[in-house]
Amino acid sequence: MNMNRKLKNEFGNNVKAKLIDDKVILSGEVSSWDEKVSAGLLVAKQGSRVHVVNDIVVKNLVEAKTIVSSINDKKLEGKKPDVLIIGGGVVGCAIARELSKYDLDILLVEKEYDVALHASSRNDGMVHPGIDIKPGLLKKKLNNIGNEMYDDMCNDLNVKFNRCGQYLCFTKNNLLIPVILTLPYFNLTAAGRAHFVGRKKLFNKEPGISKDIKYGLYFDGAGTVCPYGLTIALAENAIENGVAISLDTAVISIKVEDKKITSVQTNRGEIYPKMTINAAGVFCEEIAKMAGDRFFSIHPRKGTNAILDKEAKKNINTIYTSVNSFNGDKKSNHTKGGGIVSTVDGNVLVGPNAIETSEKENFDTEKSSIDNIFKKQKKAGTWLSGSDIITYFTGVRAATYEEDFIVEKGRNTKNIIHSAGIQSPGLTASPAIAVEIATILKNEMPDIIEKTNFNKYRNSFPRISEMDEDNRREYIEENPDYGEIVCRCEEISKGEIVDAMRSPLRCDTVDGIKRRARPGMGRCQGGFCGPQVAKMISEEKGIPLNKVRKGYEDSYILLGEKNEI
Amino acid sequence: MKTAIFFWVKKMKYDVTVIGAGPAGLAAAISADKNGAKVLLIEREDKLGGVLKQCIHDGFGLIKYGEKLSGCEYANRSIDELMKRDVSLKLRTFVSKVTKKKDGFNLLLSSSGKLENIETKKIIFATGCRERTPKQVAIHGSRPAGVFTAGLAQYYLNVNGQMPGRKCVILGSGDIGLIMARRLTLEGASVLGVYEAKDSPSGLTRNIYQCLEDFDIPLYLSHTVTRLHGRNRLEGVTISKVDEKMEPINGTEEYVSCDTLIVSVGLIPENELPKTLDVPMSKYTKGAIVNQYYETLVNGIYACGNALHVNDLVDYVSESGEEAGKFAAIRDKSDAETIDVNFTSDFGYVVPQKIVKDSETATFYFRTSRIRENAVVKVYNKDEEIFRKKYLNLKPPEMEKIKVNIEDVSEIRFVMEVSK
Repeated sequence: MNMNRKLKNEFGNNVKAKLIDDKVILSGEVSSWDEKVSAGLLVAKQGSRVHVVNDIVVKNLVEAKTIVSSINDKKLEGKKPDVLIIGGGVVGCAIARELSKYDLDILLVEKEYDVALHASSRNDGMVHPGIDIKPGLLKKKLNNIGNEMYDDMCNDLNVKFNRCGQYLCFTKNNLLIPVILTLPYFNLTAAGRAHFVGRKKLFNKEPGISKDIKYGLYFDGAGTVCPYGLTIALAENAIENGVAISLDTAVISIKVEDKKITSVQTNRGEIYPKMTINAAGVFCEEIAKMAGDRFFSIHPRKGTNAILDKEAKKNINTIYTSVNSFNGDKKSNHTKGGGIVSTVDGNVLVGPNAIETSEKENFDTEKSSIDNIFKKQKKAGTWLSGSDIITYFTGVRAATYEEDFIVEKGRNTKNIIHSAGIQSPGLTASPAIAVEIATILKNEMPDIIEKTNFNKYRNSFPRISEMDEDNRREYIEENPDYGEIVCRCEEISKGEIVDAMRSPLRCDTVDGIKRRARPGMGRCQGGFCGPQVAKMISEEKGIPLNKVRKGYEDSYILLGEKNEI
Repeated sequence: MKTAIFFWVKKMKYDVTVIGAGPAGLAAAISADKNGAKVLLIEREDKLGGVLKQCIHDGFGLIKYGEKLSGCEYANRSIDELMKRDVSLKLRTFVSKVTKKKDGFNLLLSSSGKLENIETKKIIFATGCRERTPKQVAIHGSRPAGVFTAGLAQYYLNVNGQMPGRKCVILGSGDIGLIMARRLTLEGASVLGVYEAKDSPSGLTRNIYQCLEDFDIPLYLSHTVTRLHGRNRLEGVTISKVDEKMEPINGTEEYVSCDTLIVSVGLIPENELPKTLDVPMSKYTKGAIVNQYYETLVNGIYACGNALHVNDLVDYVSESGEEAGKFAAIRDKSDAETIDVNFTSDFGYVVPQKIVKDSETATFYFRTSRIRENAVVKVYNKDEEIFRKKYLNLKPPEMEKIKVNIEDVSEIRFVMEVSK
């Protein structure tokens, strides 16, 4: 077997591959996580439906346990939803909203205290034209369909979306002809159109770009969105259409009988769903395994981005990145290369990088990552300066060895549908994935009917600082709280913060409010508004100040009244 | 309908509008009123006094009042005086936008239930400063609760009466950090140490003695916090030694278990509004470039206090407010020539950065860029020495003030001579 010869060359007799049904099962022992990943990549074929299941053991590696809420109650005991969605990321929430168009009893469970806490909030918010994905891959198809759905979806959900376009910038004259020759290819395969832009026009559009850039390609299909804002909007609209979302709810085990899921055990009780949808992000392999349907493996890949002060925004209007070598479609590069992104909220994001990791929930940042992404992106953005950084974050993406999405019904277990291996461009593809899942579901449950009262619109609270004066005055006169500014950096009013706390999905933490209304997102990072927001949570939710959390369980900001000690 | 509202809203017109009612703004408003101007003072919080409200420690007012006051007492003296004067006051009011008009400025003000426009001939920015955040000094690792800037921790403790932490590490030996080390200790928390990346303290010498040595709190120079640990609440920090360039030295990492990190790593003047009016800023002070009248390079806009440059003592903050208020009230446009104030790299900065050639003397504030002993500061007009002062000690945390005769100068240059 060719696979085993390759493995032998690399790893001696330590690693073996075996083709069973439609999976390649890897076994053996290696000394590092990177070796385990390279063994998987060595035998995997991109886009193949024959997936690598990587059972190689890494010597001395203790894999981190999944972090689960300590809540243990019976809130969901005995629930019998038609559909159980596992995972409240952008994909799970898009699926919930899509399925809420049908007359179904839907329950979404999310193990964290809020939706969009993993990869869906830890990315650069780019809506991709799909230029670096090979045609023929599922993610290419879903990216392009999803991309086109963004304008309407964001409009309906009252989410800011900016189809600003993206520039790939070149410094080498000898690439000019190959670059021009790729235009027809991109126009055929990417979302939106590709345009060649000469130096003059490029500097006209992006005056901040490096003077070394000689020409570029412009992709008008690219855009930016606030990824967690979208996820929250999808979740809220799903709730408005009858979906139940249970936070702090982790799947612990799944009972399967006769290749059918009979019940799903969570920390909040046992659930008996007719159909289960696996949208568990980096944990999709674990869920598949619990459901007796593990036919793929995830090798998590982490990436770090830096967020720059709004003052840096003067240097960029769109998204740009410098390209040194150019292979058109021949090279599929899963590191994506990152870029500099002008966000819908007026900040600038730089990054990400891509590092293989065994830790699915380790969101630590490293100085070396920031140094590397700055070094790389400075080629196009010579203006990038470390002193503009206001914060940084790390996300972990759920890559399969085949580097493609898996959106299909269970291969062994009947009543499960997987949305697995959703890494970049998962945000772009999410609405298309949801439609795909609905199609599969309709096949499995042919008698489901569309609701007549589905409301595609989501009412979001007003963004006071973005309004014109007359409009703003009307709002303030209607509700005085819209006039009282709490967060001075982002100019967020008390009214908006109260609205965020009263929105359909539970929101009772400082970080939860920050993701919805943006107090604390600015350059002082909550130095001034932090105490005000904490006090507002305490008053609104009727909890003492020292029980107000930053975000995660037990992340209390204060440790009690001062005379208690 | 909308146009009707527009005409109905009567715009108030002021001579001088002061933005910010901390010590600088209070002094500026009082002084502008004393000098005959119709004054409006705007404050976004519900009480006057700015950051002084949370400063319950003493040491304020030694220069201005010749006695040791707490921050609150110091503020109250100005507030009492303000109340006697005819200054219009808007509390809980946020300046959303400033627009330049032909004869002054239009301010868009947002407050509970109200969005209004007011007009003013002149503006004094007394907006203070904000704290540098942990991310701005490249602290990595996780993002748990329990990480505070020193001023924020001070607010929670002194205003809310809440403990921000029990087992604390303090990064940065800035004055607020030192004050908080003492404050937390007095409230029963344990302060494990103050870590400073520089090789000398950033705070006033008196605070090193009164806040650390008197309480046996260790100060570690040339050390910094490089990493946070813990997912929910902070569980510990990694401390590293740093080299001369303040870069962490590999292999010197040490884990310190704690539930709280308090960061006192510097203050940044708040100048977001003047920046929207294209007021030129100094890269040294991060505040506006001003002349001896505290006027910025945009006519009619003045700056004072910590928004202009970060002061070491509140007394100087009030002093600059008083001057800015006075000149904003009495000064007309001057046709006199403006010259630059130059200085060597021995200085951290010199304020004002410009001199209008129509006065006899000017007061300058400066900081040395590094610790100096037996230094002589000289001011030259071209090649002619017009001022000289000897200092036994010059330290970056301590600001110096001098008064120089500037009659008929054509160029001003600050130099420092250091005798070995």
